[in-house]
Amino acid sequence: MSELPPRSRGVIALVEDSCTSCMLCARECPSWCIHIDSHGVTEVPPEGGRARTTAVLDRFAIDWSLCMYCGICVEVCPFDALEWAPAHAYGESDAGALLHERERLGDWLG
Amino acid sequence: MSPGWPARVATALAAEVHDDFGLARVDVVPGHWADAVRTARDELGCTFFDWLTAVDELHDGYRVVCHLAVPPAGGAPIQVLMIRTLLPRDEPVVASVAGVFAGAGWHEREVSEMFGVVFADGTGGGLLLPPGFVGHPLRKDFVLASRVAAPWPGAKEPGESDASLADPADPAAGAANRSGRRRSRPPGVPEPGDWGPREPGTAKRGVR
Repeated sequence: MSELPPRSRGVIALVEDSCTSCMLCARECPSWCIHIDSHGVTEVPPEGGRARTTAVLDRFAIDWSLCMYCGICVEVCPFDALEWAPAHAYGESDAGALLHERERLGDWLG
Repeated sequence: MSPGWPARVATALAAEVHDDFGLARVDVVPGHWADAVRTARDELGCTFFDWLTAVDELHDGYRVVCHLAVPPAGGAPIQVLMIRTLLPRDEPVVASVAGVFAGAGWHEREVSEMFGVVFADGTGGGLLLPPGFVGHPLRKDFVLASRVAAPWPGAKEPGESDASLADPADPAAGAANRSGRRRSRPPGVPEPGDWGPREPGTAKRGVR
């Protein structure tokens, strides 16, 4: 098999630890294929000060039956939580099975 | 692209050649569109018609794009050429190239119905849309009806979920609603009530 050319687009992988549930990718996605659920956790920092609310990721899913691989989500993520992975073999016989949750999206990381 | 190809293109088409990531690209005025495509076929050997499409450039107009190639012979690398022209928005008319490449007729019919670009002396007719369809779906001002009806995944704020939005007692949803912040709306999609059918007698809301 020949080497993949530069700028090849395989599959979009999720680096879950980097995701802050900021919703930017879901809002920029022209295909509306990114689904994010999160909940807020309010904590007073151990060093004191004002209580801060951070969002904790509950669900991150990409619907590959809608995704057009434009890569806007990868470009827009301020925390590099989404990245192109070279793999591309993940066909399904059922369109519903193309909705991949975060566990599966993390599998593409090398 | 191989050395010498841009120079050959520039000479044959008498136009500036741009290097788009290794792809030779030429912009011509609408009046030279069909001549440029014909010259590319006859003098540059671009006998392979790849595709023809358009781009809605908003205030700038509609850009018609054609991708041609020289079929490789004897192991030589393939040479490709992209020719573009920009049509005014209020009168997007350009000459047809179906007489140069018969296969371009299908592409022109698709561009014609999707963007409302008129190809003078083209094969005419639509290609994909049903008869009687109103509007040009690939124009950027075309409203996608299914998007007005479908829930937008980006409507949630950080810290919200589908479940919390559905549950008014949820503290997260309550906080977002109490803050009185205007909810994000998907770009290009009118608010419910601004567009589409509404109850008879109800007033039309302000169009954004």
